[in-house]
Amino acid sequence: MNIAAATESPPVTFRLRRPPTVPLEAETLTPDVIERLSNAEIRSLIVYHGKRQLPLSEFFDVEGERSDRLELHGDLNKVRWIGRAMSHGSITVHGRVGMHLGAYMRGGEIEVHGDAGDWVGAEMKHGFIRVRGNAGGQVGAAYRGSLAGMKNGLIIIDGTAGLEVGMRMRRGTIVIGGRAKDFVGLQMKGGTIVLLEGAEIRAGAWMNRGTIISLQPIQLMPTFAFAAAYNPMFMHILSRHLQPHGIALPCAASEGSFQLFSGDLAVPGKGELFVWEGQSPAI
Amino acid sequence: MGGKVTCTLGEVKQRADFIIYWGGNPAECHPRHFTKYTIMQKSKFLPRGRKDRTMVLVDIRETKSVKAADIFLQVRPGRDFELITILRAMIKDQHVADEQLAETGLARDVLEDLVARMKSAKFGCMFFGMGLSMTRGKHMNSAALLTLAAEMNAFTKFVAMPMRGHGNVTGADVIMRWQTGYPFGITFNRGYPRYNPGEFSTVDVLVRGDCDAAFIIGADPGATMPQPAIDHLKRIPTIVLDPHVTHTSRLARVHITTAPQGIAAPGTAYRMDELPLPLKPALKSPYPTDEEVVRRINAAIADKPFWLPEGSQPQMLTAQV
Repeated sequence: MNIAAATESPPVTFRLRRPPTVPLEAETLTPDVIERLSNAEIRSLIVYHGKRQLPLSEFFDVEGERSDRLELHGDLNKVRWIGRAMSHGSITVHGRVGMHLGAYMRGGEIEVHGDAGDWVGAEMKHGFIRVRGNAGGQVGAAYRGSLAGMKNGLIIIDGTAGLEVGMRMRRGTIVIGGRAKDFVGLQMKGGTIVLLEGAEIRAGAWMNRGTIISLQPIQLMPTFAFAAAYNPMFMHILSRHLQPHGIALPCAASEGSFQLFSGDLAVPGKGELFVWEGQSPAI
Repeated sequence: MGGKVTCTLGEVKQRADFIIYWGGNPAECHPRHFTKYTIMQKSKFLPRGRKDRTMVLVDIRETKSVKAADIFLQVRPGRDFELITILRAMIKDQHVADEQLAETGLARDVLEDLVARMKSAKFGCMFFGMGLSMTRGKHMNSAALLTLAAEMNAFTKFVAMPMRGHGNVTGADVIMRWQTGYPFGITFNRGYPRYNPGEFSTVDVLVRGDCDAAFIIGADPGATMPQPAIDHLKRIPTIVLDPHVTHTSRLARVHITTAPQGIAAPGTAYRMDELPLPLKPALKSPYPTDEEVVRRINAAIADKPFWLPEGSQPQMLTAQV
């Protein structure tokens, strides 16, 4: 799926005019809201600058109207909730972006040419998020007090990621290109996390089900037990699934094999943690 | 995960025959804890007092509390979460390999003995200190111990409790909880409380520079918080209410001296087990109390016009999914 080919109408462009001094909560910046509105209506959409309600035009220059394609430009690291619960269309961000990008998302695509904050794609149900830079913590995670994180969809972070990636996720796939911090897949209930550059400590802690694949050696929790060394069949399918995004997983027996660890024994869970042993794959 | 299995210190005093202190040094930091509530007291259920109780200390080094302990477990620094997770596996009879046990710095027979003692106890209580909750892993270390306590209830009565320091930090949590449903890390910017530690907790807000004013009562973030947070406090208008001149008051725009709580100001303080205790002032102070100052600020704010335009109300974020 190519973002540019999604629809013919020109995208709505938002250029940050003045940076917000406190976090700007702009959950109205989703295709579901923008596609129905004229340029004037988009400008008068309400955003929350701290506790104050202000029109969107206070912060953004808006060009275009009635499109489900959004383009955002500027240093948006204090702008939160972009693409919240979007169901279709696309958002492209050129610059940094703040917390909760694509949270509760149900479909469509988000692409960020820059870094993203915490909670990227938290509790998303469907769709695709790609962050070309680094992301913060809790990618695809469950909000505090919630039982399940992302339920489907695909998140690709090209750079590094913070704590608790995929915390309590239920389905879907997360790919982290750089190194992730502690607690990857904490209390995971399903889904797949691919770590191209490995992670720091406590990966897979308390996981129930689900799969974590690391292409680099990682420090395991003591409550994971070695199960087997082999080349699982599903790795071909996953590799083919990720191939359009420029990610290749090693699957040939000639290159090496995966060591499978199962855990977390403390739960006790049936999670799988694959660690690649062999030549480093060409990415 | 969720919920806290806890009790009051009165119950600990009367019934707890198995006590674990994890990552804390009560002999020096809570010197009256042993004698008043935990190991020294005799009770109807534990008539021989200290002899009827077992005390385990888990820490990364020998502290003065070791002398009071029956069993001292020296865990390798930064392996508390791993050790608690191993214990969670062991109480369920899951096999953990020897070399993986050794990573925590403790031997199998020591841990098997600990698990056997925990399971055969009548009433177990775990107290955890900053050695657990403020080291790498932070909230998940505390969550691990609370989960272990919850899971031990499949075998016997077990509770867990944080060893709170400073004056009345528990009180702040308790009041926030019954007023909003959340203990800390709350924002009211949409007109109703939302909870997200990491996003709205004080230190994170200050480090990111997300606030444009700070109002500090009875705390000294200028002495304890990381440098970026202190720098932001210097940048923005900071108002401090404190009986003393603190590090924070030196970088604040406004410092209001207030009467010290419990000495010259009445009120309620919460003990670490969330039991409210009334405070009666012994002395008179020329300064107003914190409550008086906050009430006057509140009254001044109430005179100002409502911050949203006429007829508009804040919209809930959750209403739109």
